[in-house]
Amino acid sequence: MSLLVRRWAPFLAALALILGLGAFWQADRERKTDHVGNRAVVDAEATTEVQSAVSTGLLQVFSYDFSDPGPTAAAADEFLAGDARKEYDLLFKQLQEKAPGQKLVLSAEVQVAAVKSLDADSAELLVFLDQASQRSTDKESSISAAQIAVEAAKVDGQWKVTALDLF
Amino acid sequence: MSTTSTTTERRTEASVVEQKASGSERSGPEVVETPPSRRDRVLAWGLPLVALCVLVAGALTWWRATGHDQEMVDEAALRDRVLIVATSHIETLNSRDYRKVDEGLKGWAAVTTGTLHDQLTSVSEEDRKVLAEQEKISTGSVMEAAVTELDDDSATVIAAVEITVRDGSASGEDAEPTVKRNRFAADLVKVGDDWLLESLEQVAVNMS
Repeated sequence: MSLLVRRWAPFLAALALILGLGAFWQADRERKTDHVGNRAVVDAEATTEVQSAVSTGLLQVFSYDFSDPGPTAAAADEFLAGDARKEYDLLFKQLQEKAPGQKLVLSAEVQVAAVKSLDADSAELLVFLDQASQRSTDKESSISAAQIAVEAAKVDGQWKVTALDLF
Repeated sequence: MSTTSTTTERRTEASVVEQKASGSERSGPEVVETPPSRRDRVLAWGLPLVALCVLVAGALTWWRATGHDQEMVDEAALRDRVLIVATSHIETLNSRDYRKVDEGLKGWAAVTTGTLHDQLTSVSEEDRKVLAEQEKISTGSVMEAAVTELDDDSATVIAAVEITVRDGSASGEDAEPTVKRNRFAADLVKVGDDWLLESLEQVAVNMS
């Protein structure tokens, strides 16, 4: 027995060592593999993070005060990117032209923001947003209810809206 | 001269060790005379022991890693299933055909539970008649939907629904259908193996 052990122990030990290290390596690979895919809702923390970033962003970019458009422009810088940014810039330009004449004030509120799909750096959301507009020139006010399909991307650790589809 | 002699001495020593080693190998365990050196013992028992520990730890880690996100995988599958069912149920409740009132009510009853179910199953004969006389055909279509909350046996879904209403009466046959878009929030509960609508409400404008 001892003879066998003595002769084979080093080989068995080496084998066990190699297998053991191999198992650690496999475990590491396994842990890095994503089996979930779409993490919307199931990853509560990440879901809340993108929900609140998109809600805050939309609330701010869809709120506007003719007498102080600064915060709206700043919010666009902070929360919009890509196509959403380009489209919004056009809208904002038109708004800047007509708003002072009408004394237009827009205020937005997000009713629900639900995440449809989510991975590490991109997400799709469905947002129900209300927007009230008031023109002090003719005391006219209206409230509109919007459904928005939102695409968001994580850029440098911050969620930004990259596409807005109002329907 | 002295250097050569030292080399010879060393050689002799080495050969003695060799002889001893081969000698002990040849004899059984009982006849090991000199106890194995510290280094030998470490090699013979310590290393295999360490290696065994690495193997066991590695295997355990691998085994634990394989199931690390299974819970999330299952929940994601449930979410997808609930969304499909909710979409279908919401479309059912937003569709009706004046030519098939009873059939439609049966369909509504089949996808609902709780008070909503009670309401839909207690539609009076009079109301049925009204529904039939309106001569309207509505078709609900969910454009976008998403799950907001999910448990093992309850869920909340929001949906943007497009409802197309056609006039089925003789006078309105050529009229363009009217299309409206509504926002809905629906609660679902699991009853047996089925997910049923417990409530379906419009998300009204609510500015504070």
